[in-house]
Amino acid sequence: MSGHHPLQPYPFSTALFALILLFLLTLTGCSTSTVIDEYRTTNTKLDLNKGEQVVIMGRRHAGEYETEPDFINCISNRIATSGKLSVIPEQEFLDSFYPWFEPRVAPLKLKRMSRMLEEPIIAERIKALGIRYMVWVDGNTETTDKSGSFSCAIAPGGGGCFGFATWDKASIYEAIVWDLKQLDEKGRVKVETKGSSYLLAVGAPIPFIAQVQSDACKGIGNRLKGFFLHGGGSQQEPQKTTGHQGNTES
Amino acid sequence: MSITVHITTRLILIIVSLLLTACSTNVTVSGDYPSALTKPLPYHVGLVLDNSFTNYTFESSKEQDVTVALGQSQTKLFEQVLTDIFSNKSRLQTVPTQAASSTHNVDLIIVPHVEEVQLAMPFETHLNVFEVWIKYNLQVFNSEGEPIADWLMSSYGKTQTRFLKSEEAALNQATTTALRDAGVRLIIGFERIPEIRAWIEQKELEARLKGTQENTQNLAQGGDQ
Repeated sequence: MSGHHPLQPYPFSTALFALILLFLLTLTGCSTSTVIDEYRTTNTKLDLNKGEQVVIMGRRHAGEYETEPDFINCISNRIATSGKLSVIPEQEFLDSFYPWFEPRVAPLKLKRMSRMLEEPIIAERIKALGIRYMVWVDGNTETTDKSGSFSCAIAPGGGGCFGFATWDKASIYEAIVWDLKQLDEKGRVKVETKGSSYLLAVGAPIPFIAQVQSDACKGIGNRLKGFFLHGGGSQQEPQKTTGHQGNTES
Repeated sequence: MSITVHITTRLILIIVSLLLTACSTNVTVSGDYPSALTKPLPYHVGLVLDNSFTNYTFESSKEQDVTVALGQSQTKLFEQVLTDIFSNKSRLQTVPTQAASSTHNVDLIIVPHVEEVQLAMPFETHLNVFEVWIKYNLQVFNSEGEPIADWLMSSYGKTQTRFLKSEEAALNQATTTALRDAGVRLIIGFERIPEIRAWIEQKELEARLKGTQENTQNLAQGGDQ
């Protein structure tokens, strides 16, 4: 076996190395790490009577970012999938209470919310829709770093891409639970997810995308669901979890 | 041969027109605005919307040609909001003069004008957001056509670019958000304009005086009987 066969331009060891590299990239490439910090004011699960609903709302008053509506929908769906909780969609709630929860005038503190509830027209609508808990989610997902480059070209004989690019994303969100019946805060959940994505292009581009926002949604959604379905400690220690390809369940 | 030339000419024309429109953004704003959750003021308002308002189109040719037709959408918003904040609303062609005021039977007349529209797009700001500012001038007249207030009202809307979302869709969303914000300003801010506040207080005082006079007359009539 001296020399290489003309149809086998790369030695076996090179191909093996490329395969191992690809495998390692798959394993480590799109990993995410999630840290969840939870605080509850009571050990027991939150009361939610028949006909009462929860609304998850995003904060959009800051100029430099907005809490993504897709992220709020993701949390709402995650909480509602248990089938035991009734969640009113954010847009439906905003339209029902227009203009009182629009970014310009939405209450930032519970004190302002209680003053708003002194308006009979707002209090009646809250009662009619059975809104018991309001969960405000503040934060966003952003690209924190990116490097590398790749380019694609098309020629009469075909086309392809070549290069390598990587980017890091971070999702930082905090959810605050307000009880509109007792007019107090029931707890907070803070989630911080970070992850790196890669794009390897040798002919065809092969992406390894870290599901950063999706993992943050899972983390915050599961904890919020726990507020209504399970009891908990008065104050839990922050938990750190890591996962690959979006497996960040704590 | 002539068929081939004809097809080639058509293809060239299509390519040229595609190249010409490729760098322009044309949006006709379409948005739905919800009913306002508010207690209506007990007045009959007349809304005057001229053609420059109902057909308003913003045009810009800085680096890229951008056209945003928002007249139809803002007309829809003002119609909706004013229906909600007053107990009665009528559409008028012009501000009635003192002589013609009795025929319309309105308490207030509102004439909105677009003062200014500003856009900030990612190619200008290098930020990942589309932003829209709209400045309105609301002229308010009493039933006799006399000016009461000139209210400059500005609104803001933004949207972040999303994966696979077109420039047109993002701009439409940002403009709809700005119009929705204009509705917020109108619903919450209208009563707080000092001149309007004073006008409402005057109307309330007149209503109270009228009520007192009627009560006195009724008492006097009851005493006679």
